[in-house]
Amino acid sequence: MRLIAGVDIGNSTTEVCVGEVSENGTLTFHAGSSCPTTGTKGTVENVHGIKTALSQAMEKIGKTLDSLYCVRLNEAAPVIGDTAMETLTETIITDSSMIGHNPATPAGAGQAVGEILVYEHLMRAVKDTPYIVAVSREHPYEEIAAQINLLADRLQITGLILQADEAVLVYNRLHKKLPIIDEVLHIDRLPDGVLATIEVALPGQTIRMLSNPYGIATLLQLNAEETRAVTPIAKSLIGKRSAVVLKTPGGNVHENVLPAGEIYLNGKETISINLDEGAEKIMKAVSAAGDIYDISGQSDTNVGNMFTRIKQGMSQLDPTSASDIRITDILAVDTLAPVLISGALAGETCLEKAVGIAAMVKTQKLPMQEIAARLKTELGTDVTVAGVEAVMASLGALTTPGTKLPLAILDMGGGSTDAAVISENGQVTMTHQAGAGELVSMLIETELGLGDRRIAEQIKKYPLAKVESLFHMRMENGQMTFVEDSIDPRFFGRVILLTENGYVRIEQDIPMEKIVQVRRDAKRKVFTANAFRALKKVAPCHDLKNISNVVLVGGSAQDFEIPEMLMEAFAEYRIVCGRGNIRGTEGPRNAVATGLVLSYIGKQI
Amino acid sequence: MIIKKPSVFIYTHDASPQVLRNVCAGIEEESVFYEITEFPDACMEKLAYKAARDSMLGSGIGIFGTAVCLKMRGLEKGKNIESHLHPTAEEARKTGSNSARAVKKLPFR
Repeated sequence: MRLIAGVDIGNSTTEVCVGEVSENGTLTFHAGSSCPTTGTKGTVENVHGIKTALSQAMEKIGKTLDSLYCVRLNEAAPVIGDTAMETLTETIITDSSMIGHNPATPAGAGQAVGEILVYEHLMRAVKDTPYIVAVSREHPYEEIAAQINLLADRLQITGLILQADEAVLVYNRLHKKLPIIDEVLHIDRLPDGVLATIEVALPGQTIRMLSNPYGIATLLQLNAEETRAVTPIAKSLIGKRSAVVLKTPGGNVHENVLPAGEIYLNGKETISINLDEGAEKIMKAVSAAGDIYDISGQSDTNVGNMFTRIKQGMSQLDPTSASDIRITDILAVDTLAPVLISGALAGETCLEKAVGIAAMVKTQKLPMQEIAARLKTELGTDVTVAGVEAVMASLGALTTPGTKLPLAILDMGGGSTDAAVISENGQVTMTHQAGAGELVSMLIETELGLGDRRIAEQIKKYPLAKVESLFHMRMENGQMTFVEDSIDPRFFGRVILLTENGYVRIEQDIPMEKIVQVRRDAKRKVFTANAFRALKKVAPCHDLKNISNVVLVGGSAQDFEIPEMLMEAFAEYRIVCGRGNIRGTEGPRNAVATGLVLSYIGKQI
Repeated sequence: MIIKKPSVFIYTHDASPQVLRNVCAGIEEESVFYEITEFPDACMEKLAYKAARDSMLGSGIGIFGTAVCLKMRGLEKGKNIESHLHPTAEEARKTGSNSARAVKKLPFR
């Protein structure tokens, strides 16, 4: 009787499977476990994570690490995924000419045009000039209302801009009603005496005049040239409930196209493509280039720096073969990123075009033997590096009930999407593609402007709900759930994630529908695109029709919606496609580790 | 039949005028109606509990002296949305605004 452990080191998780081989060669599986990979895949730092995962698995069967007969590591494919994001456009406002913002409670409705007049300078106001009065936080609402009421007959005051959140309070006390915008943080940056226009939308509507270039032109009497210049302003104000636009003489708004740089694909011949052509064109070029030897970027541009950064990161892992670190595949995805407008007054953002890129880095060989040696000294058991990852994954996938050869597997992990096809006589064709779970997280992070990868990871993994009262919430699929004990008020009115350890609230004020849409789009853009790409490469004659069964394995196959998306996408090719169920119990995880244990018997016979 | 406007109820006992004023301003800024009633209870939580129970909108504030407490109908005893013993002007304003946001189903500030 011997206990055998298979260990699979992935980009983001390390998985272990423990099985027992009896004297007559029959195999029983005992336990599996997984824990986060420590350090970058294929480095000696992994040992720590491997030991944790091993002891977790052994604990489940009530044994210690000493009772292991041998440990089998996978010959991890020397490919590591990395992601980066590059914005292609930017909006710059010089000399601040806009505040477009969405205070929760503006007051009044309609547009107003007038010269900006700071409240303290009210006494200097002249008759017959229209004014928009800007008031700082120091003045209480009663005082403002009283003062404006007093001056209403003598002066032409058309609108108010407040720093404090008091628009409704002032509005309710005015005799002559005006549109009022509040919560303008940097009110001191409003230039005195400059022509400005404000607009507050009617209840339930969004602004009409200031989100229309000709509307702004009408209100501020702009010529054709100036109207062209305010177009980006109008564009960025679409959907707002209130806005301010200033007419600063020297002021200007640019929509810059950043010099994004070219990507060089070195295959049989070198193809170069500009990054700002967009993801679709880039991917076409990638598939046209065939087998890519290396990818690089134009030096001193954003892409160039990005690729250099990725390669540098890799070369630190294995300094000996520094010259032979190559990027063999990229997946480019179009996205929009909310970027802070430089020069804006209330912290406004503008959606800029961006391209997200996942790159597949290939090194000569990962130092797996080193890991094995280190593990051997630390555990005192026999450690061998056995089997190629894809072959092992296929072996493991075959333990899914209802599968037979020939079989295609799609291993969707954190860093890469791998595909392999095993023919009836056991021949394996495989490929590694850039872009998987981590790229999805990055897309979610940038498109929602979260600025936090951890919460993006969680949005990717868990379904959403909106807490509608202290006793019920609405799930993203419309279902209502009622709870016995009141929900913590911190979650009231918010969009939350239903994780296994309770609720996690999303700090940003983003509608649930928007989050759902971004999440689904990100998954679709990365996984369906990649699944087709990968399977086409390994399919006999590069035709998907020659594949009949696809088993989805890997961490991302565990996702609650990705397998369904792929099933839908493959339906038209009549491919049986589904989430694997390794050993009939483990779900899509643990395929490689299981394969490693299985291959031990093969070796014995 | 007496029909009242749907409003946030504020039950007070010897309420500090500043606190009450700021709480009301907070509600008004959110454009929700409120009603103030003097009550003999000498406990901010009791006042708030009753106010929330009686309010058609299910949101009530209790003010005892300077102490202010926000409750929603259905919340058990000892569970408040928020409470302050000596609120600053800002905090009192926020409590008022939160009582209105509870009605509008907006996240609390």
